[in-house]
Amino acid sequence: MTFIEIMNSPLLYCLVGAGILYILIFCVLTLRKAYRHGLEIGMTKEQLRTTIVSSAIYTIVPSISIVVGLFSLAAVIGVPWSWFRLSVVGAVTYELMAADMAATGAGYESIAALNAAGDPTIVGTLMFVMSICIMTGIVCVLFFSKSIQKGVTTARNKNGALGALLTAVLSLAIVEAFLPIQLFKGPVYAAVALTSLIATYLQMEIIVKRLKIYWYRSFIMAVTLLIGMASSLFWVKVLG
Amino acid sequence: MKGSNYEKSIHRLGRVGLVIGIGFMLGIPAVISAAFDVWPQGGINEILLVGGGLLAVFIPTAAAEVFSYVPILGSASYITFLTGNVTNLKIPTVINAQALTGAAQGTEEGDVVAAVAVATSSIVTTLVIVLGVILLVPLKPILLSPTMATATTYLLPALFGGILLSFVNDDCGEYRAKNKSLVLIIPLAVVIGINCFYPLGGKEGFVVMGCMVLNVICAYIFYKTGIIKMSLKEKKK
Repeated sequence: MTFIEIMNSPLLYCLVGAGILYILIFCVLTLRKAYRHGLEIGMTKEQLRTTIVSSAIYTIVPSISIVVGLFSLAAVIGVPWSWFRLSVVGAVTYELMAADMAATGAGYESIAALNAAGDPTIVGTLMFVMSICIMTGIVCVLFFSKSIQKGVTTARNKNGALGALLTAVLSLAIVEAFLPIQLFKGPVYAAVALTSLIATYLQMEIIVKRLKIYWYRSFIMAVTLLIGMASSLFWVKVLG
Repeated sequence: MKGSNYEKSIHRLGRVGLVIGIGFMLGIPAVISAAFDVWPQGGINEILLVGGGLLAVFIPTAAAEVFSYVPILGSASYITFLTGNVTNLKIPTVINAQALTGAAQGTEEGDVVAAVAVATSSIVTTLVIVLGVILLVPLKPILLSPTMATATTYLLPALFGGILLSFVNDDCGEYRAKNKSLVLIIPLAVVIGINCFYPLGGKEGFVVMGCMVLNVICAYIFYKTGIIKMSLKEKKK
């Protein structure tokens, strides 16, 4: 069997199908446990429903971009393993890089060259390299997650108002780190970010605050993503 | 002590879930290698030789990401890191959901919202990818068109531009923190300043960690000097 025949084999489809099913079960168990605990500690069904609806809607657009990545990855390492890698831990840039390193390590010019040559002997190495090299994050979470979370909760509870403030400002780091890096990538990136910012502001001010359509809040981020990404087509023509 | 029981059980579920996930990640290559007799010819040495460069890059980056994102994700970290797409999907989803529900980090409510948001997001992503696999042939020309390629390239600026306003508020769990958003200014200026001379792209995990430290220092100084004023929220009902 050639490289791509193994990578598209029914056995691999079955194994990956089982893996994906497991991921879904794990998600449902976590969701159920957290939802029930939310009700126990006095959260309203409305709050939990808002969380579920907004997260589900917000996820659709970025997920489509993951499917786009699936197509590029599937072209070089077959469908099932790409499917698994993009559903578990991976992101398309890492996966392509890892697959390429495995191919060049085996003496091929690139993963595409390995695919064209059809050499099946590299399949095991490729799959293990792609899995093992991305495990650092999972292993760290396994060992340190509980203690990090405990530290944050203790700091918050022990220090009253100051503790609440110091833990609340931690998440600001996400936007402080990522937004400037995106802005510096070029004028189109900056214009898209600005378009999204304005789109969010207008939806909040007009649709939610002025027209008082409160349920729309769950849709703001999803609509913003679509507007921002669509605006890139215009900005590329103007600034690109 | 419902809270602590939940904390223990959600962490137990997360850890067991991760171990089984690792089992799948290593088990699938093992079964395929055995079935088709394609084990790495040089054994573990070959894997380390081929993956050495990747490991050198990813070990510090991934470790930095864990220490940066776990304070935000709480017990949702397990499912987040197992299902991936952390910065481009899971973290923004959590921040969006926490902003919509008014649940603060470091509280039980915030932790519940993070877990519900990430679990929901992971289910949706998994189902969308399944749909993508099923509709691979008809969808391919649409999703690989130049228009889609351009639009998806700009997903991250669209996402982080849009989410900025979720951070501009006085919300702080059971407290209201007047002027809290001022904390954004110095770290943003520092990142922009450094980026002018030294591009930080690809080092986001470390940048987030540095910004967290700066945020805590700024918030502490602003609180002590009276720039940020904390007051208890009035309870509803």
